[in-house]
Amino acid sequence: MLKVCKYTLIDLARNRFAIGYATLLLLVSIGLFMLEGDPTKALISLTQVVLALVPLLALVFTIIYFYNQYEFTVLLAVQPLGRRNIVLAQLLAITIAMLIAFLVGIGMPVLVFAPSAAGWTLLLTGAALTAVFTAIGGWIAVKNRDRARGVGIGLVTWVLMVLVYDALLLWIMFAFSDRPIEPVIVPLAAFNPIDLARILVMLKIDLAALLGYTGAVYQQFFGSVGGMLVALCALILWVALPSWRAVSAFASKDL
Amino acid sequence: MDRVTFEGVGKRYGKQWALRGVNAFFAPGEVVMVIGPNGSGKTTLIKCLLGLVRAAEGAIHVNGMEVGADPQYRKAIGYMPQLAEFPRELTVDQLLRMMNDIRDAPSGSTDDRLIEALGVDALLDKRIGALSGGMRQKVSAVLAFRYRPTVLVLDEPTAGLDPLSARTLLDAVTEARRNGTTVLITSHIMEEVQQLGDRLAYLQDGRLRVLLAPETILDITRETSLSKALPKYLAQLPPAHVESV
Amino acid sequence: MRTRALIVILLATQIAAHARKCIVGPQATRTIKEALALTADCDTVVVKSGHYREGTITLERSVVLLGEGWPIIDGEGAGEVVVVKAPHVTITGFVVRGTAISNLNDNAAIKCISVTDVTIRNNRVEDSFFGIYLSSVDRARVEGNQVIGDPATDENSRANGIHLWKCANVTITGNRVEHHRDGIYLEFVTDSHITRDTTAFNMRYGLHFMFSHRDSYTHNLFHDNGAGVAVMFTHDVVMTDNRFLRNCGASAYGLLLKEINDSRIERNIFADNTVGILMDGCNRAAVHANRFSNNGWAVRLFANSTDAVCESDTVSGKTSDVTTNGDLVLSLLKRNYWDRYRGYDLDRDGHGDVPYRPFGLFALVTERMPYAMVLSRSLMVQLLDESERLLPSLTPKSLEDLSPLMRPPHG
Repeated sequence: MLKVCKYTLIDLARNRFAIGYATLLLLVSIGLFMLEGDPTKALISLTQVVLALVPLLALVFTIIYFYNQYEFTVLLAVQPLGRRNIVLAQLLAITIAMLIAFLVGIGMPVLVFAPSAAGWTLLLTGAALTAVFTAIGGWIAVKNRDRARGVGIGLVTWVLMVLVYDALLLWIMFAFSDRPIEPVIVPLAAFNPIDLARILVMLKIDLAALLGYTGAVYQQFFGSVGGMLVALCALILWVALPSWRAVSAFASKDL
Repeated sequence: MDRVTFEGVGKRYGKQWALRGVNAFFAPGEVVMVIGPNGSGKTTLIKCLLGLVRAAEGAIHVNGMEVGADPQYRKAIGYMPQLAEFPRELTVDQLLRMMNDIRDAPSGSTDDRLIEALGVDALLDKRIGALSGGMRQKVSAVLAFRYRPTVLVLDEPTAGLDPLSARTLLDAVTEARRNGTTVLITSHIMEEVQQLGDRLAYLQDGRLRVLLAPETILDITRETSLSKALPKYLAQLPPAHVESV
Repeated sequence: MRTRALIVILLATQIAAHARKCIVGPQATRTIKEALALTADCDTVVVKSGHYREGTITLERSVVLLGEGWPIIDGEGAGEVVVVKAPHVTITGFVVRGTAISNLNDNAAIKCISVTDVTIRNNRVEDSFFGIYLSSVDRARVEGNQVIGDPATDENSRANGIHLWKCANVTITGNRVEHHRDGIYLEFVTDSHITRDTTAFNMRYGLHFMFSHRDSYTHNLFHDNGAGVAVMFTHDVVMTDNRFLRNCGASAYGLLLKEINDSRIERNIFADNTVGILMDGCNRAAVHANRFSNNGWAVRLFANSTDAVCESDTVSGKTSDVTTNGDLVLSLLKRNYWDRYRGYDLDRDGHGDVPYRPFGLFALVTERMPYAMVLSRSLMVQLLDESERLLPSLTPKSLEDLSPLMRPPHG
C-alpha cells in the first residue's frame, strides 16, 4: 500500500492543479494579510475563504484525479495487490498532497502573520476539512462511473454542506423557536464539519465572550471534554465513513 | 495440468448476461486468440480472468488458484490493456520502478529485452504525460512481459503500434509461448489470428461458440483464409440457445 | 456658590488657627480612641504607623485624622471600622480593613452617616465588605483611595466598593476599586461628579447608579467588570471621555442605559464588550463622537427608545453594528463612520452617497433567537445579509445612516 502511496505522491507533487491550488491559497492568504492591517480581521476573512474554498477544491480535485487515474487504477488492480489497499493508498496520497498544499498556502502565512491560538485552530480545522472532503471526494468518484456525474455530485455535496445545511439549521430554529432547542442546535451545527471548523475558529478569535448568551452556550459545549470529544468523533467519522464506503465500494466494483 | 480454467463462468450486468456458460481450459504454451463482434463478451471474459470483474457464477482458476480469493494469483499474470494510461507526472523510469516495487521484483530478475527492442530505453527519463499514445503502448507492452508471467493477457496489443513494433511484440509472444506461457489475445485482425493462434475462441452474445485451432476450421470449411472460413463455419453451427432470464 | 465656598475656606482657616495637634503612636497616646476622646472640633489627630485594633472607631467631632507611614486600622471582623458622625471630617493616609460580613448590616470600612463636608482621601481600603460608604451626605470628596477586595472572596460576601445613598454634591475622583460587587454604586445621588476613577474586576457592575440625576461621569476607566456599567432611571446624565473595556459575558454591557432621559454620551471608547451600549427606554440621548471597536454588538437600540441621536461615532464591529428589537425605530443615525460601509462618495463631500444600514438580517434573526449565533459568519448567513442589504424587506427601514462618513471623524 505504501508503495502505491509513494508513487502517487511523486505524481501529485508535479501535478499542475495541486501546485496551482497551493499557489492560489498562498496568494489569497498573503493578499488578505497585506491588505488588512489587523491580523485578527484578516484571519476572520481567511477563515471564511478557507471554509468555502478548501472543501470545494479538495472535493473537486479528488474526484477529477480519481477519474484521471481510472485506467491506471485498473492496471494496479491487475497487479498482485488487494483492491482495498489501492484505494486507501490513493486516498492517503491525495490527502497528504492536499494537506501539504494547504500548509504551504495557508499554514506558512498564518504562522508568519497570525501565529495565535485562532491561527492554529484555523490550521488544524482546515487540515481536518481537507481530510474530510478528500475522503468524500474519493467515495463519490468510486461510486460513480461517469466523470461529469461525479463532479456534479461533488458540487451538489459542497453546496449542501456549505449552504443548505445552514439554511436548514436556520429553518429548524424558526420552526421550533417556541421550544427549548438550544441544546440541540450546537451539536447539530457541530455535526457539519464546515460549521464545526467555523465555530472552533470563531471561539478562538475571542468572539465567544462577545457573543454573550450564545458564547456561553458555545463555551459550555466546546469547553467541556464531552463536547470536544463529540466534535472530534464527528470529524473522525467524517473521514472514516466516506473512506470506508469508498474502499468497500471499490472492492466489490466491476472495473 | 491446465494453466487457466473457466468452469461454467457467467457474468451479468443488471439483467443482461454479458457472459454465460463459458467452459474452457487453456494449456501452458498455448496462444489463444479471443475474437468476436463488439459486445460479444470478449472484454468481460478477460476482465473475469484478471479479477477486474467478479463472475456471477462458475469459477476461474489460474495455476490452480481461484480467481477472486487471494490477489497473489495475479503475480502470474501480465496484462496489456487496450489503452494504457499511467500517472502523467511520473517518468517512465519511475513507473518501471513503481511496478518493480509493487511486484517485489528485485532488479535483474525482470525480463527487460522489450525495453531495448521497442526503443523504450530512450524514453526512460521522459514524463509519461509527454508520451504519445503509441509510446505509452510500448511502455505498456514492456510492463506486460517484464515479470515473466505464465499467463499473458493482451487486449488488442498491436492496435496503436507501428508495424515494426507490432512485429517485435508478436515475436515476443512467440518467444513467450516457447517458454510455456499461456497467452490470451483479443484481436480483430484475422491474419494475426491465423498466423499466431494455436486456437481461436469465438464469442457471440456472451457465449463461447467456437474454441478450435484455426487449421481445424480451415480444414472443415476447405478454405484457405480464416476471414472466409470462420463465417462459413459459423453458418453451419446450430443456432445458439437463447437464454431466458 | 463661589462666595459660599470662600466663606467656608475662611472659616476653616480661622478655626485651624486654634486647632491643636494630637499624636498617636508608640511614644505618645497609644490608641486612636483615646486621642479622639481628648480632641475638640478642628483638631488634627496624627496617627503614626502601627497596627491599631480597636473595634469600631467613631468620629463624633470635626477632626482631621491623618495617617503617617500607612498606619493600619483593623476592625478584626467586628462590624464597622471607622464611622463618621460629625461634619468637616477628613480621613487620610490609612490602611483600613477588617469589616464584618453581614447580611443584616451594611458594614463598611469607612462609613459616613448624615454629615456634610467630609473628605476621604488617599486611603487604602482592603478586604472589606463595603469599602467607603456615604449615607445622606452633602458636600463630600472621595479622592485617590484604593478600594481593593479579596479576589478569593465568594460572591455573597462581597459588597460595593464605594457606596453612596441619598447624597448630593459629592466628588469621587482618582479612586481605584477592584474585586467588589459593584465598583461604585450610587442611589439617589444628585449633582455629583465622578471623574478619573478606575473600576475593574468587580463582580457585577463597574459603575451602577439609579435615580441619580444631574451627575457627570468623565474620564473614568471601566474594564473587565462582570456586567459593565449600568445606569438606570435617571435624567440629565453626562458621560464623556470614559473608557468601557472588555466587559463581556452572557449579559454584560459596556454601558447599559435603562429608562434614561436627556443624557449626553460623548467621546467615550467602547472596546471588546459583548454589547457596547444597550439603550432600553432611553429618550433624547445624544450619542456623539464615541468610538466603538471589537464589540459583539456596538449599539443595541431597543424600540422603546425615542429620539436618540447617534452622530459622528466611529463603529468598527466584529459581529453587529446596531441592532434593535422592533419594527419602528424613532432614533436617528447620522454622519457616523462605519467600518463596514462599502458605499461611494462621488460628489466628494465626505459623506457616502448611499445610506448605510447597520442592522443586518442576521442580526435581526439573532435578536429574536440568540442561539442562531452558531451560524455567525457562515457563507449562507452572509448571502442572506447581502441580499437583505440590496432589497431590504425584513429589517426596519428607518434604521439607517443617510450620510455615513467616508473616513473616521477623529484621527
